[in-house]
Amino acid sequence: MRQILHNMNPSMKFLAVTVSMLVLAFFFNPWTPLLFFLSVIALQLLFSRINWKLWLLFMLPFFFGAFGYLWTTLVFGADTGGPILWSYGPIEITEQNWAHAWSLSLRVLAFSSLSLLFALTTDPVRFIQSLMQQWKLSPKLAYSLMVSYQFLPVLKAELEQIQQAHRLRGAEIDKHWWNRLLAMRRLFIPLLAGAVRKAERAAFAMEARGFTGEPRTAFYEQLTITRMDYVLTALFGIVLALCCSIEFLDF
Amino acid sequence: MRLPVPKRTMPVCNQVFVLEDFSFCYPDTADATLNHLDVAIEEGQRVVITGPSGCGKSSLLYLLNRLYPANCDGTVSGTLDIYGKRSGYYAPGEINQTVATVFQDPDAQFCMPTVEEELAFTLENLHTPHEDMQARIDDILLMTGLEAHRHRVIQTLSGGWKQRVATACALIMEPKCLLLDEPLTHLDPLTAMEFVSWLDALQSQRKLTIIAVEHKLELWGSFFDREIALNADGCIDKDRAFAATLPIPFKKRQHTKRHDTLLTAEQLMIEKSGKQLISAVSLSLAAGQVAVVAGPNGCGKSTLLKALCGIYRPPNGTVRGDPAGYVPQSPEQLFLTKNVTDELAFSGKSSPAEMDRLMNGLFLQPIAHAHPFSISHGQKRRVAIGAMLADKRKVLLLDEPTAGQDEQALKELYELIDARAKDGCTAVIVTHDMNFAASIADSILLMKDGTLTGVFDPDALWGNDELLHEHRLLAPKGRNAYATDFA
Amino acid sequence: MLKSWKLKEIVLMSLFGVVFGIVYLVFLHIGNFWAGIIGPLAYEWMFGIWFIVSIICMYIIRKPGAALLPETLAATIEVMLGNAVGPRLILSGIIQGLGAEAAFAMTRYRHFHVGVLMLAGALAGVFSFVYGYFLSGYAALDPSFVALMFTLRVLSGAIIAGIGGKYIADGLLATGSLRGYAIARTEKNDAGV
Ligand SMILES: Nc1ncnc2c1ncn2[C@@H]1O[C@H](COP(=O)(O)OP(=O)(O)OP(=O)(O)O)[C@@H](O)[C@H]1O
Ligand SMILES: Nc1ncnc2c1ncn2[C@@H]1O[C@H](COP(=O)(O)OP(=O)(O)OP(=O)(O)O)[C@@H](O)[C@H]1O
Ligand SMILES: [Mg+2]
Ligand SMILES: [Mg+2]
Repeated sequence: MRQILHNMNPSMKFLAVTVSMLVLAFFFNPWTPLLFFLSVIALQLLFSRINWKLWLLFMLPFFFGAFGYLWTTLVFGADTGGPILWSYGPIEITEQNWAHAWSLSLRVLAFSSLSLLFALTTDPVRFIQSLMQQWKLSPKLAYSLMVSYQFLPVLKAELEQIQQAHRLRGAEIDKHWWNRLLAMRRLFIPLLAGAVRKAERAAFAMEARGFTGEPRTAFYEQLTITRMDYVLTALFGIVLALCCSIEFLDF
Repeated sequence: MRLPVPKRTMPVCNQVFVLEDFSFCYPDTADATLNHLDVAIEEGQRVVITGPSGCGKSSLLYLLNRLYPANCDGTVSGTLDIYGKRSGYYAPGEINQTVATVFQDPDAQFCMPTVEEELAFTLENLHTPHEDMQARIDDILLMTGLEAHRHRVIQTLSGGWKQRVATACALIMEPKCLLLDEPLTHLDPLTAMEFVSWLDALQSQRKLTIIAVEHKLELWGSFFDREIALNADGCIDKDRAFAATLPIPFKKRQHTKRHDTLLTAEQLMIEKSGKQLISAVSLSLAAGQVAVVAGPNGCGKSTLLKALCGIYRPPNGTVRGDPAGYVPQSPEQLFLTKNVTDELAFSGKSSPAEMDRLMNGLFLQPIAHAHPFSISHGQKRRVAIGAMLADKRKVLLLDEPTAGQDEQALKELYELIDARAKDGCTAVIVTHDMNFAASIADSILLMKDGTLTGVFDPDALWGNDELLHEHRLLAPKGRNAYATDFA
Repeated sequence: MLKSWKLKEIVLMSLFGVVFGIVYLVFLHIGNFWAGIIGPLAYEWMFGIWFIVSIICMYIIRKPGAALLPETLAATIEVMLGNAVGPRLILSGIIQGLGAEAAFAMTRYRHFHVGVLMLAGALAGVFSFVYGYFLSGYAALDPSFVALMFTLRVLSGAIIAGIGGKYIADGLLATGSLRGYAIARTEKNDAGV
């Protein structure tokens, strides 16, 4: 049960998430994003086994961002109609302004939770595979992306390697952390340079393995769209529809 | 399933590669790397390409599998036909489905994270039906002895094992032609011998065309039937029937071991991703001692050197002594500057005269201003060795310094190490070249499964077949000659 | 679009897309904290950071699409790693990329000197601003505030993306790892043009 979101076909999941966000962008009341935010959390609680500590860590900046949106929209928002709720000096906050501010900031939360849902339950390599298999993404681009994505841990190793080389060759190592932080700037270019060389070699290796960039006829790991994927997509649709219908109920 | 083919409709093309007045020049070098080659290689031939380090052997293979010139902006003149078609008419990657390559640098030839995925990627490129993939991967893993490594991340394999994975990837394509760039350099001696006989069987069975680049011909016995020797200018020097050769004769070193200890390690233990790579290794090295570390692929030799020079910090155990100089198995890891001269001069510890001597000795003069990353593999290794020698450390740790070196370079390396040892320096050398080991070592450290099994006197070791076999080693071919010469 | 590209150029472009996707995300988070304190203006002066990969890639590869594609990829990576804007960000990535691409297309992919690079950064800023104006509801903000935002963004695009991008790419070129790419080819013939 709690594997479902992780096992969902990544392209379908991406479609569901994208459509949800595009639809949400058209609703300017505070309740729709709030409800949706809560539903996303509920969905994750039910159908995924994500690491909630990690989730909180990633969400933290967005809470800040949401807060920023709230007060700046309140203060800098252009004059809009409606009764004045509250005023302080030159700043007047109207009812519409108030609702707008909340809707914008809650939207940040809804969007970020949704993309975190995608990010935390999807293996990027499987996502690219699925884009290639279901959506006919060009294999040249797909494999280049996969190769690059897999470079990320290598980049970390590369950084260590550069530092080791410096140490072995007797270059000065800065003692203080702030100096080391500054030295990071000097490391960025060699790091990128190493990455570029690795990328070139990976391209050679791909070609040497007979990669021509033509669409493939068979995949070793075949990703398919199952009934479960349709069920989950429908579930997203229902949740979305419910959250949106709020706009037409009350106000 | 072979249907009778009417004779005239199928042009019988048994020439795999035809080069006519073929030259190649890298974009930013003045002289052409390959000069006016005229060669035809026929189907089913076993050709070895020899020549001094840096003469253009690897470049030639890159041209034969069509990775160059398209990918490097080099200029070619003359013609190259592959299976009867002009090389330029193939799409990128197309010819590579029939011509498979094992490259020289084990670190620079993979694009997928794990062994299985790399093999699967190859099969997908060939449009192998899904049902067959599993079986073919199983087969090739069994054939190359890689079953246990199926799900390993290639990056974490040892140099020798990477080389085997590369071979597996080349063979799973069932190519018609195989290009091998010094395929034995990183294999332990017994595996190298097995590889040759196994390739021999494969070739007779499938009528493969094999073109290999090699410096150490003695490892191949009488495998080849043709030798194409290039000279330092990139011209064909000789094109002749292959004759088995003997290993390079080195003179036996006078031992220079002294009494003071330069480096000690006690109870070293290294762990990576929950796996013990080496455990309980203790050793001590005296001034003037030259120690060779030998053992099967993946037994922890490189790991030991990394621990000794402080790249890996052991959670357990201690290393005491002078900071050591280290030449990694992949020499590129050391490079920091933009040309070879700067690379050697980096620490500023050697005088100009000493630098000159090093540059000349290691045959680096012609590439003094080249970028350290765009030189041949053997040259890179010599630059790394030169840089470490120029740093004048008391302790030198060299990981496979003999790999990819030609005869002259090996002799010079021998002299350089010998001279340092006389001055009271210590060298620890990892090598699979038993001939070199036999002549240079004061003592041989044998490793197996991450532990040091013992320190041996070379001459005593070569007689102990059981011990050698356990560590997948072979006595050097010319051993008996030594015995008589130096008795 | 990718027909005329060599595989190694595609890999390089993807690699930059991925690496800068991460860099972008880091700055997005920094920006978020920052914006929590001083509002949307916080983003504007550093907006050029989010255009930089277009300029670097185009400057190195010099083929049509080399500004648009990496920017789109970087945005996609940002979305996959999680952020507040969601898939819409991919669209803004495309728009920013188009802005930079437009500048290079105007010079028919022939000139890559500082001026063109700065123009590309500035145009990316203009495109993204116009898009933002309609989609993020800047219309709801005070016009003089909007004008300030616009100026800051365009300047930031020209300086951080244009000049910064050139600085990084030139640094890379000097390390010798860009041999075999267009930047190294033309640099020999018309240095500085
Ligand atoms: N990418 C490159 N750019 C410019 N010059 C290069 C490049 N790669 C190699 N060279 C030069 O071309 C020459 C031939 O190199 P190549 O790698 O083919 O030599 P090799 O015969 O394989 O040597 P080794 O036995 O050491 O592997 C060398 O002098 C080298 O410095
Ligand atoms: N980062 C790592 N993570 C996990 N295992 C590793 C890592 N690095 C090395 N190993 C493993 O440690 C073992 C020893 O590796 P090492 O490179 O020291 O072997 P080696 O004796 O130098 O072999 P070779 O002769 O093939 O170079 C190997 O089995 C290797 O797979
Ligand atoms: Mg070579
Ligand atoms: Mg090793």
